[in-house]
Amino acid sequence: MKILVKTDACVGHAQCHRAAPTLFPLDDSGYNTLAEVIQVPPGQEEAARRGVRACPERILTIVEDEAPASP
Amino acid sequence: MTTTELAAAEIPAHVPLHLVQNYDLWAEIAAAGVDGYQRAAAIHQETPPIFYVPRLGYLPGAWVPRRAEDLRRILQDTDTFCNAAIPFAQMLGENWQLIPLEIDPPHHAKYRALVNALFSPKRVEELAQSVRDHAAQLIDRFAARGYADFNEDFANWYPTLIFLRLMRWPTEEAATFVRWTHTMTKSMDMQEVAGAVMQVRDYLRARIAERRKTPGDDFTGYLISSQVDGRPLTDDEVFGFCFLVFLGGLDTVASSLGLHFMHLARNPEQQADLRAHPEKIPQAVEELLRAYSIVNMRRVVTRDVQFGDAPMRAGDFVLISTELGNLDPEVFASPAQVDFNRPDASLHMAFAYGPHRCVGSHLARRELAIAIELWLKKIPPFRMADKPIQLRTGGVFSVDGLRLEWDPVPGGAA
Repeated sequence: MKILVKTDACVGHAQCHRAAPTLFPLDDSGYNTLAEVIQVPPGQEEAARRGVRACPERILTIVEDEAPASP
Repeated sequence: MTTTELAAAEIPAHVPLHLVQNYDLWAEIAAAGVDGYQRAAAIHQETPPIFYVPRLGYLPGAWVPRRAEDLRRILQDTDTFCNAAIPFAQMLGENWQLIPLEIDPPHHAKYRALVNALFSPKRVEELAQSVRDHAAQLIDRFAARGYADFNEDFANWYPTLIFLRLMRWPTEEAATFVRWTHTMTKSMDMQEVAGAVMQVRDYLRARIAERRKTPGDDFTGYLISSQVDGRPLTDDEVFGFCFLVFLGGLDTVASSLGLHFMHLARNPEQQADLRAHPEKIPQAVEELLRAYSIVNMRRVVTRDVQFGDAPMRAGDFVLISTELGNLDPEVFASPAQVDFNRPDASLHMAFAYGPHRCVGSHLARRELAIAIELWLKKIPPFRMADKPIQLRTGGVFSVDGLRLEWDPVPGGAA
């Protein structure tokens, strides 16, 4: 799973960070602008979803991993 | 059915009559008194998604979008909906701006960056202990007495002391600041308001002049040594920042506290829940911010635009009513109900959406949570005294006359 961040639309509510601090680190201004794509480590999917749902601006998008192609 | 219908209001010709609600929205909500927010929630069942009111207090008519989704789109689109000037400078015949509030993108970002760093979640964490100390000292003054006049004994002082600490100005000035803020936000006499604005202006200007002479690393000193577009800030710009921090941080926190504590006093089971589980307070603060949003501001339409069913014309005003957005049943189930376990409470727009998101939001959240935490720690279960209270509406909603009482503990609790 990964998360797409529209960094130029972040206005610094920091609610993603509040929901999942390590997944959503903030810059010195307190904005989520450090990466446009956040890779979610295995096992942290639920925290990632909480962080995405918490964004009042709705600028975070979840991209699920594609199921492995069958041989 | 409404209680405050206007007699013969003037409606601009381009506004379709079926979109008009013939009342002053602020008067309508205020008339419901302590149940004002129930009244605001009911408006969602009675009106089109965007309606027009012919008057708002002493202000002219405006479009009122009530859906959170529409409000978000408007606040994110600062090209079409620009910030309507707050007339403090005009009132004095001057032309400074509140920075960064009254500056829209693209110039906004460079000013905003200067203050973001001062109010980031990390910086707020460093202030938490002094916020806690101020709250504790205030509460200790009246804990043993068994009652508090909430605004006069606590809410007006608390953010003022924190503001002075933030600016590193003497806390002995608090009484003067409380008086100025009270006059500026509560007086209906424009002469009186202008008088208070002038006194605040003179005070801030004097502090800025002092810092120019003697550099220092306080808030004013930081701004004086900062640059935009490769040049230092002008005196008007430094002043615009300081005045906005003054305006934004004092009355809003005090007003929110009044409504939140009124709720806790009227709902003893929820008060008891937070006493037993203080770890739930930050989440409760989000829900209280949602259910009791206080800020109403306006935007000006910059070009003719069809927005939903509303044919807006350049120059029209649009009301950003944060309480309507936060009581939108499409986003929040049973919106009039206060539920500290509501999972999505923090999606609220109490601090607005878009680039003008309240820069002090992280500090405000901390101040509100610490106030509740220390009250519950130091004061036994409290209730409303048998005394009439009044809901004030307008640019900042608040309650007047709130007295809380409790059975005093000899020698004070905790």
